[in-house]
Amino acid sequence: MIPKIAYARPHSLKEAVKELSAPGTIAHAGGTDLLGCLRDGIVTPEKVISLSGLSDLKGIARTGDGGLRIGALTTLAEVADDHVINEQFTALAEAAASAASPQLRNQGTLGGNLCQRPRCWYFRGEFHCRRKGGEICFAMNGRNEFHCIFGGQNCFIVHPSDSAPALVALEARVRIANSRGTRTIPLDSFFVDPAKDVTRENILRPGEIITEILLPAPVTQMRSSYRKARARGAWDFALSGVAIGLRFNGKRVDQARIVLSGVAPIPWRAVETEQALAGKILDGETVARAAESAVRSAEPLSDNAYKIHLTQGIVHESLMALRPE
Amino acid sequence: MTLYDTTMPDDKPADGQPAPAGLKPWGETKVVGTRAPRIDAYERVSGAAIYTQDISLPGMLHAAILRCPHPHANVRRMDLSKAKNMPGVRAILTHESPSADLPWFFGDKGPMSKLFDPHCRYEGDEVAAVAADSPHRAWDALKAITVEYEELPFVSEIEEAMKEGAPPVHEGGNRGRVRTSERGDIAKGFAEADVVLEETYRTSCELHTPMETHASVAQWDGSRLTVWDSTQGVFDVQKTLAQYFGLPSSSVRVIGHYMGGGFGSKLELGKYTVITALLARDTALPVKICLSREETFLCVGNRPANIMQLKAGVKNDGTISALHLVNVGSGGAYPAGSGVGYLVQDLYLCRNVKVEETNVFINAGTARAMRAPGFPQCAWALEQMMDALASKIGMDPVEFRLKNVPAYSQTRNNTPFTTTGLKECLTEGARVFGWKEAKATIRREGTIRRGVGVAAGMWGWEGSTVSTAIVKLFADGSANLNIGASDIGTGTKTVMAMVVAEELGVPLERIQVENADTATTSFAPSSGGSQTVVANSPAVRKAAVEVRTRLLELAAEELKCTVADLSLNDGAIQTLTAPARTVPLHELQSLAQREMLVGVGHRDPHPQGKIPLPFAAQFAEVEVNTRTGETRIVKFVAAHDSGRMMNRLTFENQVFGGIAMGIGFGTSERRILDAGQTGKMVNANWHDYKIPTAVDVPPEHTCISVDPHDTECNNTGTKGLGEPATIPTAAAIANAIFDATGIRVTQAPVTPMQLLALLAGQEKGGRQ
Repeated sequence: MIPKIAYARPHSLKEAVKELSAPGTIAHAGGTDLLGCLRDGIVTPEKVISLSGLSDLKGIARTGDGGLRIGALTTLAEVADDHVINEQFTALAEAAASAASPQLRNQGTLGGNLCQRPRCWYFRGEFHCRRKGGEICFAMNGRNEFHCIFGGQNCFIVHPSDSAPALVALEARVRIANSRGTRTIPLDSFFVDPAKDVTRENILRPGEIITEILLPAPVTQMRSSYRKARARGAWDFALSGVAIGLRFNGKRVDQARIVLSGVAPIPWRAVETEQALAGKILDGETVARAAESAVRSAEPLSDNAYKIHLTQGIVHESLMALRPE
Repeated sequence: MTLYDTTMPDDKPADGQPAPAGLKPWGETKVVGTRAPRIDAYERVSGAAIYTQDISLPGMLHAAILRCPHPHANVRRMDLSKAKNMPGVRAILTHESPSADLPWFFGDKGPMSKLFDPHCRYEGDEVAAVAADSPHRAWDALKAITVEYEELPFVSEIEEAMKEGAPPVHEGGNRGRVRTSERGDIAKGFAEADVVLEETYRTSCELHTPMETHASVAQWDGSRLTVWDSTQGVFDVQKTLAQYFGLPSSSVRVIGHYMGGGFGSKLELGKYTVITALLARDTALPVKICLSREETFLCVGNRPANIMQLKAGVKNDGTISALHLVNVGSGGAYPAGSGVGYLVQDLYLCRNVKVEETNVFINAGTARAMRAPGFPQCAWALEQMMDALASKIGMDPVEFRLKNVPAYSQTRNNTPFTTTGLKECLTEGARVFGWKEAKATIRREGTIRRGVGVAAGMWGWEGSTVSTAIVKLFADGSANLNIGASDIGTGTKTVMAMVVAEELGVPLERIQVENADTATTSFAPSSGGSQTVVANSPAVRKAAVEVRTRLLELAAEELKCTVADLSLNDGAIQTLTAPARTVPLHELQSLAQREMLVGVGHRDPHPQGKIPLPFAAQFAEVEVNTRTGETRIVKFVAAHDSGRMMNRLTFENQVFGGIAMGIGFGTSERRILDAGQTGKMVNANWHDYKIPTAVDVPPEHTCISVDPHDTECNNTGTKGLGEPATIPTAAAIANAIFDATGIRVTQAPVTPMQLLALLAGQEKGGRQ
């Protein structure tokens, strides 16, 4: 049962961020995560601020520099179906299409997808864990099959978003609004490592929302993909996923971005792998070595060592699939 | 029903007795066997159908139950003062409420607990209940009740529970007595074998999670109690409620017109129903309860987890010389049964069989019958073992099974089956699947590998024969069928109406079915155990035949001919002799004068000296990504001998539904307890408890009805279908995965996580 809440639906960004500056408020975009969090008592706001009246935050448009501006309220289904995104920012289209289920993609927004709360069953369940202000992380010594193999410290969640790693691989920026105006930052620096703060997943402060996601103009020899492995075929989060953005110079990789999902508390840059690929032709040996390097620093828990093999497997598979003809 | 008791069989099959005289099954049919859409499809799809959760009565209150959040605890103290004074709160029940001080029974084990037992033995055990004027107020009041618990040591896993010094769930320890049944001499059988294999197979605790959560509405009228219940059997609920409230059965009316699935978890009266009736009595108002999805994960049953050690001996010619099964299972915190042995004892010919079964208590929700209780688990073990044996003696797995098809039940004095369609299921299934070609040509190398597998099964219970149906034919030629059976989503109403249409020539759309109401319909057994069609359709047919006989007699008199000169088609009487006449039923004067013809049909007993049981064989093709452990089921063929197929559409629904459920059991579903830490269930929701989705079932699947034209089983020629459909599925998939990878996955479910871990180990250790 959802507890008693007040509700407001402002019609301007200014009003919205003002409302959200007040304590005890929370933003409501698609609501696909928020409603579950309210029902399960994960968040306990007094007032829910709907963003649905902010029509400026919807839609996909070309920017002056040839890049793309995606309003934060654009649904995942719209992102997955967009022709330009499919052609030029393939990883994002594939990530959006692989999230959740058709019903949820019709309702869930891209901005909301970046801000969703972790799916850790201890965090979501009746367990007073560290992320909820408690003393212990239950996953450390508990059932941790779906938890992280990288970056776990204090807390072993995985970041649940599929679109986030794809956007990081595509070097996206996000615009953040608050009562004083807006600023843009690389999406890569949006997420918060539990070692720094275990109670939050991103840098947004009260009164701040994402208004748009900005993609840089595509370079000609850019290829990207998102591959997600999950325990069942749909309506499931990633056991492990990999977003890859490769800029080629002929057959050689000029620059690589490899970002893992489902294995770390934040979208996880496989920096070693990125470096291993730079300047290389994607032959079998290079790919195998790169895939191996992606998991070299993994630290599995009792039940999730399979994620090492899985991540290596999908990185290998995805790199092979991205080789130029 | 006693599935697990066995007696020593004679060496020869017993002689079959002739079936009792009476109606023989149909030859050609006009309606039965066709693709008839559900007669209530529009109501169900449009939302017009009124389920228990839709019931709303004037002044109705809403109940909610406070449940123990710990796996094992004593309730020390409760403070209700805040909750009592909240607006809209009308009544609160706890173990201290005199009216709620009722014993609670588990099977025939006597009163082992109470309606509210202050000694809580599992997470979800009932602690208190509230009735308030809205569901929100009831839930808010629960939150306002403070309970002081004394947390007790708990145990979550079978093997831990069996250890010396494990926290006892009940006084006397966790280990039940070993139930042994034996025939022949297994030591001799193993000595005779050319190959002996032994393996330990494990299955996980699976949950029913029906679409409609458990729900009841209770209303008192003086000393008469009416309960709307989402149940599989209104008469069973009526009987138990009458006992609880000390009322004659006639004063308890239970109604269950529409219900949204049960799979066995709604085969018995729930505590929530008794609590709702108590609250309704205390407040003198109708009270409704709808369990939350989370509650249904914790406290309304499950399929127990099992650990099955199976040893099997086989001769090089394919004769199975000995089978020895040692099963330990846990039905949770109270006795619920976790036996699995039937298939080992009866599916294949084997003279020397020993089965030893033990149930173990753990601090977790109690099991309830779940679609073929025990059978998918046993098939998981036996059918993988059959595959391994076939491979060892160099015999094709289908051929090996065919060599061991029984014609009689070895667990029941070698009494012959009316028909054993297992042979046809295997051969016809293999033909349609393309088994031999697939075996010979499938690609088992490289990163993406394919494999094929087969598994067989049978169901071990022929069902109840206590059922009465009433058919009323109105003067306008429309008909009313009155049966006590619940339609639990399988199409029971439609199938029964088809039987009436077959006999009376009345079109389906002019037949109305009244069902599942203890006050207005006649007795039918609960819809479970694959008995619904088997128990009820013969009674319906007899009722319809009685009406037909009377109608033709009247028509013969009126039309001045003999009954033999008449036929009944499309709502009209036709004369077969000159002058040719067609008289629509509404023009028949003798029917108009009587307004209505009524026929009553009682189900006949089972044939003497023969046993009617259904058989099945299923075939799977899988594709395994050896880099990721991901498995796709690309093709599936299910061949079923369930006697006559009553309706092609509901047959397909049952079989495909059974396969989907088997895929869940075999590849993704399991209750996960936080063992060794909090003991709480961590995946009590539909995201973390992974039921297959539309993309997890095979894109190509075929079901075949192998009808052996059983003329002895009953007058409709039917055997059960609902349970056989899910029995072999998981094992067929596991066998296909073995074919693809060389890895024998003994632990169900085969998740990609588990398979990948095994594949990675194989890489290190080399292919088996």
